[in-house]
Amino acid sequence: MKLISRTLLKIAPVKLAALAVLLTLGATATAMAQNPRIQTSQLDGLAAKASETVDVNIDESLMALTAKFLSSKDDDERKVKEIVSGLKGIYVKSFEFENEGQYTDADLESIRSQLRNPAWSRIINARSKKDGSIEVYLMHTGEQISGLAVLATELKEITVINIVGPVNLEKLTQLEGEFGIPELGLEGSKPKRKN
Amino acid sequence: MKPINNDADYLWDKTGEPDPEIQQLEEILGTLRYQPRPLEIPAGLYVGRERSFFRGYRAPLAIAATVAVLLLGLGLWLGLQRVERSPQQVAKSSETPQAKPMISPDEKQNPPVAVSSPQPEPKQIVESPRHRFNPSLLARNSKRDRNTVRDQQLTLKEQQEAQAAKDQLMLALRVTSAKLNLAQKKAQSTNAPDMIHNQHKIG
Repeated sequence: MKLISRTLLKIAPVKLAALAVLLTLGATATAMAQNPRIQTSQLDGLAAKASETVDVNIDESLMALTAKFLSSKDDDERKVKEIVSGLKGIYVKSFEFENEGQYTDADLESIRSQLRNPAWSRIINARSKKDGSIEVYLMHTGEQISGLAVLATELKEITVINIVGPVNLEKLTQLEGEFGIPELGLEGSKPKRKN
Repeated sequence: MKPINNDADYLWDKTGEPDPEIQQLEEILGTLRYQPRPLEIPAGLYVGRERSFFRGYRAPLAIAATVAVLLLGLGLWLGLQRVERSPQQVAKSSETPQAKPMISPDEKQNPPVAVSSPQPEPKQIVESPRHRFNPSLLARNSKRDRNTVRDQQLTLKEQQEAQAAKDQLMLALRVTSAKLNLAQKKAQSTNAPDMIHNQHKIG
């Protein structure tokens, strides 16, 4: 033990401090690279042009507070509680415009550049000139999902969703049309042609 | 005073006839003669290079600096986390102050059922005159009353926050679920023709 301490003291203390700084910076950079939270504040400027804006920011503390108020006795609320348990944040930004061309690819580049991080893997990339595109990204920590990001663009609409924490995709997908959550049927809502 | 004998070398190398006067001087000055002895440095005397505050504290200072840097890094990290978690913003709408989700044309005709259930009205308790008490006869603890009111206010505030957060949560889940379903459907619809195409290839 004495030998170790002597050796450590022999090394110039300044070098030791520099090493600590480097280690700290390295650890911080790694942690930031693995952070499933994506920054969407760059899109805030679009709110002025949008006819409808949805901006939801629920962080860990608010999530915990909300979870407390979700009843375990009520079946519907219990399902929501199960889905959100363990989540560290839900962030949704959606802008709907009156006219086309209110946003550009440059607006989305800041989001896409974050999602190009190797920690993210794109599981769905559906593109159509008519209906726009939708991309779904997942971040894994080990075998567990640690983050979800959805980037959906239409001619008059942009939606960015970011969920931080272990996401149960199956349960989340099944949520639409259940209990208090009406089926938006974004695609199915189009009137069907009668034969 | 005797005249100096120039022939005598006593004064220079103690040869020749000794000069008593010089001998006397020698005796007097001899007490001050150099006598070799070991160097003794007084205990209170500090002789050294220019003193620096940091000299002698290098190791503890390095450790302290490392800890400070680590704390700074941690602080920066936490600060970044806090910035990322931007303050709560209730869903904004240009029409209503309430959070308004994207609604399809069909739904605009039949608006969705509100997620939050209406609060039941509090029951009114009617007291009989017999059970009424004179408040002035009760011992009061004004401090406790104030604390209770404050607690009630906090709880009420918390409840309001939780209710608002719950609405936001439902809205967020609704949008997420809808978009995921849409992605799933689109992915399936784009994959389906390929699968058929592949089947033809195989067949």
